[in-house]
Amino acid sequence: MTIEKILDGTRLTVAIAGRLDTTTAPQLEAELKQSYDGTEKLVLDFAALEYLSSAGLRVLLAAQKVMNKQGEMVIRNVNETINEIFEVTGFVDILTIE
Amino acid sequence: MIKISHLKKEYPSATPLRDVNVEIHKGDVISIIGPSGTGKSTLIRCINMLETPTAGEIWVDGECITDKKCNINKIRQKMGMVFQSFNLFNHMNVIENIMAAPVDLLGKSKQEAYDKGIELLRTVGLADKAFNYPDVLSGGQKQRVAIARTLAMEPEIILLDEPTSALDPTMVGEVQAVIKDLAKKGLTLMIVTHEMRFAREIANRVFYMDDGGVYEDGTPEQIFDNPQRERTIRFIKHLKVFEKLITSKDFDFIGFNTELEEFGRRNQVPQKTIYRGGSVFEELVMQCLLPNLEKEFHLNIAFEYAQGTETLSMSLKYDGAHFDVRNTPNIVSLAIAENASESIEYTEMDADGFTNLVSVKIK
Ligand SMILES: Nc1ncnc2c1ncn2[C@@H]1O[C@H](COP(=O)(O)OP(=O)(O)O)[C@@H](O)[C@H]1O
Ligand SMILES: [Mg+2]
Repeated sequence: MTIEKILDGTRLTVAIAGRLDTTTAPQLEAELKQSYDGTEKLVLDFAALEYLSSAGLRVLLAAQKVMNKQGEMVIRNVNETINEIFEVTGFVDILTIE
Repeated sequence: MIKISHLKKEYPSATPLRDVNVEIHKGDVISIIGPSGTGKSTLIRCINMLETPTAGEIWVDGECITDKKCNINKIRQKMGMVFQSFNLFNHMNVIENIMAAPVDLLGKSKQEAYDKGIELLRTVGLADKAFNYPDVLSGGQKQRVAIARTLAMEPEIILLDEPTSALDPTMVGEVQAVIKDLAKKGLTLMIVTHEMRFAREIANRVFYMDDGGVYEDGTPEQIFDNPQRERTIRFIKHLKVFEKLITSKDFDFIGFNTELEEFGRRNQVPQKTIYRGGSVFEELVMQCLLPNLEKEFHLNIAFEYAQGTETLSMSLKYDGAHFDVRNTPNIVSLAIAENASESIEYTEMDADGFTNLVSVKIK
């Protein structure tokens, strides 16, 4: 997994590529923790995300909770396979997917 | 006719036969199939004492041939052997090849041996080649001569070890046809072969060899259409298997995924299917099971891909307390796994130290 961050004022875009799974989820979690300060809009770009597991979902859920308090979070460019994961787990109702 | 009990054959580096117990009846036509290296040739060679068994007994017509006092030459005359390589004498013509043993060993007159030899050549369709030398014959013709030569000794049983596997594919049919004729005549035959269609058509019994012996013994219908045991099923259905034993909570998950993907590529598993397999593995094993297992545990995972039906299945065996993974409180993981599967089944088991079995059919 690779993580790329672009900061534009209070808007942070995080592009995630590769696998977001049991092994890599903690990396994303740590990366996000350092970035919340001053962020009002968090955009997660999943265009290059190939695989998502429940471990990744948990990190997304935690991020959503943080952002609910200080602004908003949206997920972009979700492919069909990953969208299926959001649907069967009910995460479509919790996350904002554009 | 032949009774084999507790036969064991050990080589310094391998023990192909651990404990073989079978009975062969007069008129049986037995196909012996199985992966290479499982002792098929060794079994055949023990039956006619080309190899001395390490332990156990072989009885032929009420005589114990593994007994040192047994006259093995007399027994061998009852048994014909056909090898992959034809072993004809190149300095003798075809009819001389066939006459040699009956004259030398059975004490037949030359005329008698000749007449019989010509008759046998007719049955294998080679009467017109009687005075040719082996080197002008095709592989298929050589093997038919070898069969005629074996028949000239009037054996009660014929042991054939991959009789067609050294042949050009165009010649396999003619040799198989000759062997089928022998079967029809009521001769007792044991044939090691990897031609499954032939094995099925010719035999009244099939021995599937694996794991140190005759692993499953049944009619062709039983073995080919309804095999009962794990390894037979794998072999018959051409299952490609990717198997791992996990004994530590921090095993190499990244490496596992790489190997799983490589397994998928090698066996033409559709990418979407292998993706789902990996997803089910991660959700059930990494997320639901590993956190629940005791410190010391054994978890065996096997992915099996049936190329014939293009289906991927996953089985998980683990020890410790009975735990049906479908009862996990982790409903998110379960939802993902269920979505990627046709079915997830759980059984309490008790075999090889494992107490739990989960069988998943991947979508
Ligand atoms: N003469 C021998 N000396 C040592 N090892 C042997 C000998 N013959 C066979 N083996 C070993 O025994 C095993 C079974 O061989 P074999 O009976 O030829 O198997 P198959 O015919 O089923 O392919 C193999 O591992 C092989 O290496
Ligand atoms: Mg062999």
